[in-house]
Amino acid sequence: MNDDDAFDEEFDELVDFEGGALEEELRQAAGVLDPLPPALLQVAIDAYALHDLDARVAELTFDSLVDAIPVRGVTDAPRMLTFSAGEVMLDVEVTARGLMGQVLPPQPARIEVLGGPGSTVPLTADDMGRFSADTAPSGPFALRLHTGEDVVVTEWLRA
Amino acid sequence: MRTGAVPSTAYHDVPYTRGGTVERSEVGALVRSAVDGDAAAWKAIVEGLGPLVWSVVRAHRLSDADAHEVYQTVWFRFAQHLGRIREPEKAASWLASTARHECLKVHRNARRLMLTDDPQLLDRVSEDDTPEQSLLETEAAREQSERVRRLWQEFEELGERCRQLLRVLIASPPPSYQEVSAALDIAVGSIGPLRQRCLRRLRARLEARGAA
Repeated sequence: MNDDDAFDEEFDELVDFEGGALEEELRQAAGVLDPLPPALLQVAIDAYALHDLDARVAELTFDSLVDAIPVRGVTDAPRMLTFSAGEVMLDVEVTARGLMGQVLPPQPARIEVLGGPGSTVPLTADDMGRFSADTAPSGPFALRLHTGEDVVVTEWLRA
Repeated sequence: MRTGAVPSTAYHDVPYTRGGTVERSEVGALVRSAVDGDAAAWKAIVEGLGPLVWSVVRAHRLSDADAHEVYQTVWFRFAQHLGRIREPEKAASWLASTARHECLKVHRNARRLMLTDDPQLLDRVSEDDTPEQSLLETEAAREQSERVRRLWQEFEELGERCRQLLRVLIASPPPSYQEVSAALDIAVGSIGPLRQRCLRRLRARLEARGAA
């Protein structure tokens, strides 16, 4: 790490000589013409509330966007997602019309659709572990699943 | 978390150098504090690294709506994984690389859905003025404003690879090469030469424009 830093700094001296001033000017231009919007800074600060010690994180193990071969001509294929946390799995399908899912192994569960800090919509999975919602999540979302005493939250994703 | 802890005294007397060394050396300790419930530490992380995440997102030419959502997704996921990040001192690289992955997903999704708003066609400079921009105009700093505008326009037209690299490099404070590498998936060793080359090219464009 220290070696790398020293290496970087050597380069910097070169760049300072050849283009460092130009880069700094460009940095200032970005600060004026393309700054981080203050509202986004605030959303990220508020996101601390999403730090949830009680829940296990269900990792994304399949995403049709990445892992499936696109079908030619199909332009509104559903987004298929699979999340896993140990023995609990969650299959989710997101379309323009809504969201459908399956808890595995099949079991009833209380589910919350999270849309950000402070935004939740409650759902219920039936005895077969099936659940659905009429509106598709817009923007970042996660599902929090309560089964018995276990709480599992899916990795945050963009629908 | 598993690597050696940063001694808590170390970051009080680290001078500011490029790479945002102050924040970067503090980051591991700040992440640990945030895990333990220190909201101020979290805020410091967001303020220190937010601009880097924004630069990575901007480097990938998304629409404004997509850029905002990716930015939020990255921080939501970081908050969620806070206690599980293996190397807290490398949180900046984690954020940069997560941002890159999410940006690439947007590109995939956009192609699949064949959305027509081609961000390549966006001419940010001549679009709606930001408040900052209007301020420049009214302050009779026209000449300076014009210079900034020209510089930004030449930068936007620099070609994808250079534009992308420079957009990440000009985050404030400047990122380390490890972070740039995580943000763009390019080897650390190739960043220096590429950076020189892109800045040379930008300068040449500005000079050609001035001469015309």
